[in-house]
Amino acid sequence: MSANASLGRGLFLALVTAVYVFLMLPIAIVVALSFNSARSLSFPPQGFSLRWYVAFFQSEPFMDAFVLSLWLAALATATAVLIATPAAIYYVRHGGRWRELFRLYVLAPLLLPEILTAIALLFFYYEIGIGTKTVVGLYIGHVVVCLPFVFLQVTASLYNLSPSLEEAARSLGAVPLTTFRRITLPLIKPGVINGALFAFIISFDNVSISLLLKGIGTTTLPMQMFDYLRWGSDPTTAAASTVSIVMTLGAVLLVDRFVGLRAMRY
Amino acid sequence: MTRLTIAGLEKRFDRTFAVRGIDLEVAEGELVSLLGPSGCGKTTTLRCVAGFEAPSGGRIEFDGSDVTPLPPEKRDIGMVFQNYALFPHLTVKQNLSFGLEMRKVAPAEIDRRVADVLAMVQLTGFEARYPRQLSGGQQQRVALARALVIEPRLLLLDEPLANLDAKLRDEMRFFIRSLQRRVGITAMYVTHDQAEAMVMSDRIVVMFDGLIHQVGSAEDIYDRPTTRAVSSFIGLANFLDGAVAGGADGRWMLHTALGPVACGAGHTPREGDRATAMIRPEAIALEADAASPDCIGGTIEERYFLGNLADYRIRMADGSILQVQGEAHAPFSPGGTVGVGLAQARAWLVRDAAA
Amino acid sequence: MNGLSRGKLLLAAPIGVALFVFLVLPYLTIVVMSFRVPSTTAAYAPGFTIANYAKALTDELYIGTLVDTLRIALTITVICLLLGYPVAFHLARTPSRWRGLLYGLVLSPLLVGVVIRSFGWIILLANNGVINQWLVSMDMPRVRLMYNEFGVILALVHIFLPFMVLPLVGAIQGIDPKLEEAARSLGASRRRVFLRVLLPLSLPGIQSGTILVFVLACGAYVTPMLLGAGRVHTTTTSVIQLLEQFLWPFGAALSLVLAVVGLLAVALYVRLSARWMRGLA
Repeated sequence: MSANASLGRGLFLALVTAVYVFLMLPIAIVVALSFNSARSLSFPPQGFSLRWYVAFFQSEPFMDAFVLSLWLAALATATAVLIATPAAIYYVRHGGRWRELFRLYVLAPLLLPEILTAIALLFFYYEIGIGTKTVVGLYIGHVVVCLPFVFLQVTASLYNLSPSLEEAARSLGAVPLTTFRRITLPLIKPGVINGALFAFIISFDNVSISLLLKGIGTTTLPMQMFDYLRWGSDPTTAAASTVSIVMTLGAVLLVDRFVGLRAMRY
Repeated sequence: MTRLTIAGLEKRFDRTFAVRGIDLEVAEGELVSLLGPSGCGKTTTLRCVAGFEAPSGGRIEFDGSDVTPLPPEKRDIGMVFQNYALFPHLTVKQNLSFGLEMRKVAPAEIDRRVADVLAMVQLTGFEARYPRQLSGGQQQRVALARALVIEPRLLLLDEPLANLDAKLRDEMRFFIRSLQRRVGITAMYVTHDQAEAMVMSDRIVVMFDGLIHQVGSAEDIYDRPTTRAVSSFIGLANFLDGAVAGGADGRWMLHTALGPVACGAGHTPREGDRATAMIRPEAIALEADAASPDCIGGTIEERYFLGNLADYRIRMADGSILQVQGEAHAPFSPGGTVGVGLAQARAWLVRDAAA
Repeated sequence: MNGLSRGKLLLAAPIGVALFVFLVLPYLTIVVMSFRVPSTTAAYAPGFTIANYAKALTDELYIGTLVDTLRIALTITVICLLLGYPVAFHLARTPSRWRGLLYGLVLSPLLVGVVIRSFGWIILLANNGVINQWLVSMDMPRVRLMYNEFGVILALVHIFLPFMVLPLVGAIQGIDPKLEEAARSLGASRRRVFLRVLLPLSLPGIQSGTILVFVLACGAYVTPMLLGAGRVHTTTTSVIQLLEQFLWPFGAALSLVLAVVGLLAVALYVRLSARWMRGLA
C-alpha cells in the first residue's frame, strides 16, 4: 500500500476508534463516579468507595422509584406481549389487502415523537376526566410505546416459521387452536421473549411518557434521577445509574444466553 | 383403502386460474402422479384435495362422500411436504406420536405403532433424536413415517424428494413406492420429474396450465402422448408437420416435407387436415447407405457419445434437423451421410391442445 | 366474510382498539386542544379560537425558538452523519468475528437511557467537570462547555449517533463489495469509488438515518433541559414549560406547529434527495 493510502487508512481507523470512545465515555464516567469516594469526579480520582450505593439503597425516594419502575416495566411488558403477539400473528398469517396499512398503524407509536404521544395522552386523560396523575394512565402510556417493539420481534420470528409446519400439524388432525398451542407458540417463543426484553428496557428507561404522566408522589427511576440532576449533581444518582445499567445489561445477557438475540428489523 | 374423486375442480387466485377444470378418479390402493412443469396447477390440485385451498368450483370426494367443505384436520389424510415440515422442537418419537395424540390413541398403542412404523422406514433407535440431528434422507423417512403411522385414508406427497441429491432420490423413489404398495394406501404424488413419475406411478396425470392433458400408464404417456406438450415434456421428441392423407384403424399416412410417414393416432384426424407427428429419437433407424429402401438421406452434423447410446443431430434435405439416438458404437461420424429410416419409424400423431 | 375470517380479525382487535383509544383519540385531542381558549384557572376556558395558532406563528420569540430548534436539529443530524458514516462503513465491512462486539458497542448506549447519558455529559462538561478540571490542572482557562448550545448539541449527537449508524450499516451491508472492486479494477481512485459507487448506493440508508435523527432531535427534551439548564430553548422545552404552567391550548398549538414544520421539512428533504439520487444515477 502506498504511504498516502496507509495514512488515509490510519486516519480512518483513528476516527472510527475516536467515535467508539466518544460513545462509551459518558457512560464510563458515570460508572466511575459511582465508585468515587469524593463528591465529584476529580482528576486524579480520589478513592474507591461504595458509599453512594449505600445512599441509593437507603434513599426512600430512590427505592420507591426503583420499585415502581420495575413493576411498571413488568406489567407494561406483559400487557404489550398479550396484545402485540396476536396482532403479529394476524399480520404475518392472515394479512389481507390492508396488511401494510395495519403494520403502519401498529408501528405508529414508534414513528411518532414520543413526547408528542405523552402530550396527547396527558390531554386525553384530562378531557375524559380520569385525571392526569394516575399510575394506570402512566402504565397505559408505557404499554402504547412498548407495543411496536414486541410486534416487530414476534413478526420477525413468525417469518422464520415455515407455514408448512402448521399445515403439517393440521394434516395430522390438529384443529387450529391446538396447532397454535403445540406448534406455533413454542416456536415463536424466542421472538416473544426478545420482544419482551425490548419492551422491558423501553419501559424501564422511559422518560418522555413518565415525565408528563407521573403521579404526585409516585415517580419512576429515570424521572427521579432527572429531578435530582436538575437541582445539582449527586453521586447517588451515579450509583442509581450504574444499578440501572447493570440491570438492563444483565437482562440482555440473560436473554441472549437462553434465547439468542436477533437484530431488530424495521 | 379409499377411492378419491376429483370432479370439475377449479381454483382461481385473484384473476388467474391455477386449475381450470380437472376430473380424476383414483382407485383404492393406486398411486397416481401429477406431473407437469412449475405453475401447471399440480400442487394447487393436491392442496385442494388436502383441504389447504378451498376450490373455486367443483368437488372432492373420498369414497363417494363430499369432503370439500371439510378442513384438513377432519379429512383423515397423511401429507408429506417438500421441506419435510418436521416439528423442530419435538423428537422423532414426538413427531410421530403427534397425529396419534390428535386421534386420542392410548399411550401403549402409540408406542407400539411408532415402533412399528420406525421399523418400516428402517429408523429404529432414532426415537430420541431431534430433526436437526438427522440427515436429509432420514428426515424424509421420518416425514413419511409420520404420515403413515396415523393410517390415513389418503397419502398426499408434494414433491417430497426435490430437496435430496440425485442418488438419494433414486433410492427413496423405490422405497416410497414399495412402502405404499405394502401398506396398500391410495396415494397422490406431485412431481416435475418425469423419471420419478414413470418409476413410481400406477398412472400418470400430465398437466399443463391448469388442465389435464393425459392420464395413463408410463407407456401410454411415452409411446402414445395425446398432445405436443406431453410429448415434449416426457422424453425427447422430433416433430414433423404435414397433411393427413388416408388411413384407417388408427394408422394414418402423413405427407411431410421429408416424404410420407406412417403414423399411429389416438384420435381420428380428417383427410387433408394439417397435423403433427411425433417421433422419438430412438425410434428412427439409421443405415450407412443413404439410398437404402425406406430411407431418406441426411448429413450428420453432430454426434454425442452418451455411454449407452450415441446421440446424432442430422441435417435433412429441407434444412431441418432430426435428433436420432442409436447404438453407441455405430460407425457414423460428423460430416458423413446417412440413411434415415423415417417412413418406418414409430411415429404418433399429437394434438396441439388438450381436448 | 365467513366465520373463520371474523375469528382471525379477533387477533388484531385488541391492538386495533387499544391504539385507537390510546393513540388516535389522544392525538385528536391535541388538535382540539390547540383551538381551545386559554385560561388562568384551569387547563382551558370554554369556547374555541385560532388565537393560539396566530400567536405561535407570529410571535417573534416563538418563531425564533422554532428556527433555533430546526437549526440545532439540523446541526446534530449533519454531525451524526459525518461521524456515523465512517463507523457504519467500518462496521459493515469488518470481518464477522469482530462484528458482534462492535455492534454491541454501538447499541449499548441505547440500553442506558437518556438521563444517564446526559448525566455523563454533565460530569464531563460542567464548569468544574472533568474536562475543565483537566484544563485547570494544565494551567489553562476554563471553557464554557455546558449551559450553551455546544453542550446540548454534543450530548444529543452522542444520544442519537446509534440511530444514524444502524440504518447506515444495513444499507452499506447491502452493497456488494465486488462493486467497489469492479470500480477499482476499472481505474477509479478511492475517492471516486466513494463518490460514484458507495455514496449513491448508500443513499437510502442515509435518508433513513438522517430523517430519524432529525425527528428525534426536534423532539428532544431531557438533554436540552439538563445541559442547557434554562439557557437553551427549543420549541419542545418551551412546550413542556407551557404545559407545566397550565397553558395547554397554546402549548398544543405550538407542538403541532413544530410537528407540521418538521414534517414539511422531511417531505421537502425526501423530494430533494430523490431528485439528487436520480441525478447521480
